Amino acid sequence: MIAFVSGGARSGKSAFAERLVRDYQRHRGGPRYYLATATPGDSEMAARIARHRAERGDGWRTLEAAALDLALAEVEPGSSLLLDCLTLWASRALFEFSLEESAALAQLERTLAKARAADIALVIVSNDINEGMPPQDDASWRYLALLQAGHCRVAAEADCVVQVVAGLPQVWKGSLP
Amino acid sequence: MQLVIGGACAGKRGLVQRWYPHARWHALEGAARHAILPASGETLVVSGWAGWIQAALASTPSDDEALRLALTERLDALLATEAERAAQVVLIVEEMGRGIVPMGAERRRLRDLNGWLAQDASARCERVWYVRHGLYRRLDTPDAQVGSCAARD
Repeated sequence: MIAFVSGGARSGKSAFAERLVRDYQRHRGGPRYYLATATPGDSEMAARIARHRAERGDGWRTLEAAALDLALAEVEPGSSLLLDCLTLWASRALFEFSLEESAALAQLERTLAKARAADIALVIVSNDINEGMPPQDDASWRYLALLQAGHCRVAAEADCVVQVVAGLPQVWKGSLP
Repeated sequence: MQLVIGGACAGKRGLVQRWYPHARWHALEGAARHAILPASGETLVVSGWAGWIQAALASTPSDDEALRLALTERLDALLATEAERAAQVVLIVEEMGRGIVPMGAERRRLRDLNGWLAQDASARCERVWYVRHGLYRRLDTPDAQVGSCAARD
């Protein structure tokens, strides 16, 4: 089971995705994991990460890895996993690890394949950023293009695609448990 | 006439290419160019509206109403010619109105005119499709039709 949850800033997408992972875990058993893509680069980001951790509560096994596919190797088959979020992963892939778009997308593809092969209920969270004014610089365009290619690929693969608006889930594909 | 709208890199072109593999594509460029119209029986895809607006903004410093009128005249000409020539017209328009308000006046005007274009096009179109992350949804009917831009019909 793969689900893709996206929305605008502070739309409630992370909270909804967490509930979705809990639901999957309840039905399937096994542990639940949280795969963090953020690193505490400054005090604001550290506080943001701490707030998310407190909101999630106990019972999560936290993984931190920039390479998503390598992180999935640590996840028990049959478990449930929250990946939050693709926007930060794309940013680090391009600007911290200097990956080409094709290499980053290949990593994402391996992640999806591993989740399928290990029967992991994978819930991927991301931000919708492509409906404002088009970027004016090359770096932002590269970032937007990578993230959108990733969104399209994940949405195509996912069994369930949800847009969260003001905390309310709008189902674009599949159905909620 | 149909409208396909969605954000940058959302999958709009892929969807239209899949639906109309033999269509003629025309990207609007200069503001001064004559309106492009479909030939008899053909499917014409018209994109690049933001580029047209940007070029027009440079040549029409402050009259947004005149620019909106020029855009609606193009839409009306496409619609009328589509019917006369038994053609099909597909408009691709980028959604760009959901971010923060731009600092520069010209980008604010581009955003406004693009939004008006989307409304004016939608009002003239028989079908309106919203594309988001490679999935599409029909907007002009309560019975929303949804699907994947990549999937086969």
